[in-house]
Amino acid sequence: MARSGGNKISKSTRKKTQFAQKICRFCADKVTRIVFYDIKSLKPLISERGKIVSSRISGNCAMHQRRLTTAIKRARNIALLPFSEAS
Amino acid sequence: MKSYQSVLILKADLDDAQVDQVIEKITEFLSKNNGSLLKVDKWGKKRLGYRIKKSRFGYYLNIYHTCESLKVSALESDYKLYDLILKFLVIKLSDKELEQEMKSDEIDNAVEETKEKTPATKSESDNGVEEVKEKN
Repeated sequence: MARSGGNKISKSTRKKTQFAQKICRFCADKVTRIVFYDIKSLKPLISERGKIVSSRISGNCAMHQRRLTTAIKRARNIALLPFSEAS
Repeated sequence: MKSYQSVLILKADLDDAQVDQVIEKITEFLSKNNGSLLKVDKWGKKRLGYRIKKSRFGYYLNIYHTCESLKVSALESDYKLYDLILKFLVIKLSDKELEQEMKSDEIDNAVEETKEKTPATKSESDNGVEEVKEKN
């Protein structure tokens, strides 16, 4: 963790890092429906351990994140994706 | 009448005749209950995301059908009783979704990607230590 280091910088002087605006990948492709058996599009939104990547990280919009979670959960149920994977 | 999609995982070591037998059995059930089979996709043998009943591979079958909404639970219990089916998933489709499904014949890139690369001989026999919890 960068912040937990010993060098103390006051909040005012700390440089604010600028992040690039993240764009929802489904909005960019104009996908309205996320299909649970289309694993190619689900795989990148899953962590190594099989967890769902949060929208904070992936930059997905709320609507698509909601649809994504149901798609991933369905895919898990039918064993297209793992519930968890050993690290 | 509502339309549904059911995905079935069959045992991996079935031959084509047995798979057709499964499909036949389902059509029989559906025709009894005023339903009809719309489309059948055979995704083929694939590696499972986790072990189901100690097997690592399964034969996937994707079926689109109509069914009376009251009979869906009966259909599900039928799936449960049929011992060739390892696991299943039944999903209700809206008209719009169904239309899309019927149009898109080849979204089966899912099949290509996870198609098993190694033969199933070694993995199927070993005893599973971890039991996967199943809702179904």
